[in-house]
Amino acid sequence: MEFLSIPFAVCMTITFILYYLRRSRRWQHCILLAASAVFIGYYHLAYLIVAAGVTLFTFFAGKWIHKYPDTKKGTLILWTSIIALAGFWLIARYWSPLFPLGISFYTFQALSYLIEIFWEEEEPEDDFWDFALYMMLFMKFLSGPIERGRDMLPQLKTAKPFSYRQVTRGLKLVAWGVFLKLVIADRIAPSLNMVLDNVRIASGMQLLTATLLYPIQLYADFAGYTAMAIGFGRMAGFEFHPNFNRPFVSQSTGELWRRWHMTLSFWVRDYVFTPLDATLRRYGKKGLYISLLVTFIAIGVWHGAGWTFALYGLFQGIVIIYETLTKKARQRAKKRIGEKTWKLIMIIRTYLLFALSLLFFRVGKISDVFYVYRHLFDGFNDSIKELRLGMSDFYWIVFGIATVIMFILEYLNSRHSLINWTEHLKAPVRWILYAGIAVIIFLFGAFGVENFIYIQF
Amino acid sequence: MERKEVLEILRDILAKVLKRPGIQLDYGMSADDVEGWDSLTNMMIISETEKHFHIHFKMRDIIRMKTIGDMCDIIIQKQK
Repeated sequence: MEFLSIPFAVCMTITFILYYLRRSRRWQHCILLAASAVFIGYYHLAYLIVAAGVTLFTFFAGKWIHKYPDTKKGTLILWTSIIALAGFWLIARYWSPLFPLGISFYTFQALSYLIEIFWEEEEPEDDFWDFALYMMLFMKFLSGPIERGRDMLPQLKTAKPFSYRQVTRGLKLVAWGVFLKLVIADRIAPSLNMVLDNVRIASGMQLLTATLLYPIQLYADFAGYTAMAIGFGRMAGFEFHPNFNRPFVSQSTGELWRRWHMTLSFWVRDYVFTPLDATLRRYGKKGLYISLLVTFIAIGVWHGAGWTFALYGLFQGIVIIYETLTKKARQRAKKRIGEKTWKLIMIIRTYLLFALSLLFFRVGKISDVFYVYRHLFDGFNDSIKELRLGMSDFYWIVFGIATVIMFILEYLNSRHSLINWTEHLKAPVRWILYAGIAVIIFLFGAFGVENFIYIQF
Repeated sequence: MERKEVLEILRDILAKVLKRPGIQLDYGMSADDVEGWDSLTNMMIISETEKHFHIHFKMRDIIRMKTIGDMCDIIIQKQK
């Protein structure tokens, strides 16, 4: 069931009415579990069975690991569980005809939960139904945010009273997500798909335009999904972690990965990079660089099978190692050039490198990625018509203005919460604003274009 | 070894690894409070600390080091 569909809207409305009908933790959990089962099973019953199986396995593995703290037996149980979960994910990801939706995300939640218990940083959950909700809560089931047990499970211990403020705050985030998805990501998607699915027949100017705009499409798509997931969660009284923090103001690739898909970045940092770097610490900087490369290749292959995804990760790892090696030289250059100019150059450079690396993520074949690299600057003699990528001037203006609005609002929100700001407006002004946003979405949104990009992971 | 003594040595190790001679530490500080102490420099600090005190941290020790105070306590415990 997609977020932007009539069945979801109906299911969501019924769920929320029933959810707040009684202020009882058990009742609310029953409603959420039933809604999550419908949401997952609506795609395919097998997805629900797999998610329930992984949940059951993790719940009991956690209890078992906890019985043997800091012992060889505990270590053995942990590693067996990791191999079982990761192995099952690998089989489902690469060899199964049916890829269970959301499995990459809830498997990560399961792994972090078990590792934290092994490290004695977290107690195993006693209530199976709370744990099942942690794993399968429908708002974050498809593509995260990847929550940690220690953040999510305590939120499940109390009944949630209806709060008008909380619900409207959630709805505002949902509206923001719909704007990002429909007015920006889906507006440009058909044009970029046309070029990036057929790079060998596209002109140089088209390749350049598509390469430069793809990060914005991907960002608006995934940040749009995340805003909706966090918004729906907030409507039910839950706080999820953000996945993005203005990634395109990053001055280095290292910083970009602290601002882009943050719950995945931090997960990989805590459970792959840190243990690996700790194991290799006697090799000094060499150990650090190997850990970085392995970590980013892991991020790459998490997204999909094939060398293109591995190279996508390797690209990031190499750039970050380069940034670490040249830290002093870059500091000197910063002093020479001046802070503001340096900042601008670094922001542009980071964006361009990310855009080039994303071709490995988006274009199917390695040879096609290098074809794009070779022909990026072939198009300066092309006519201006080439630049349109089949989209009308009107919709280019809509896309351009919406993207600028996105960046401006994100900047303003980083200084003062815009949700707080709207709450201080007088009621008539506030409602005119809401109506305006709804009209903009209905007038300029591209409906029925495509599903969220990250749903495939 | 006294906690204060360990803190002084840790200050020297961090000053050397992070190349910040005037660095100031207190027990309540975490890596987030120390400029330059991030996931990339973390293991270099851990490794230098191990070499200096002739100890070996297990992964769960490293995870438990939330503050400088925790780090001092674990070092003292390891030395016993």
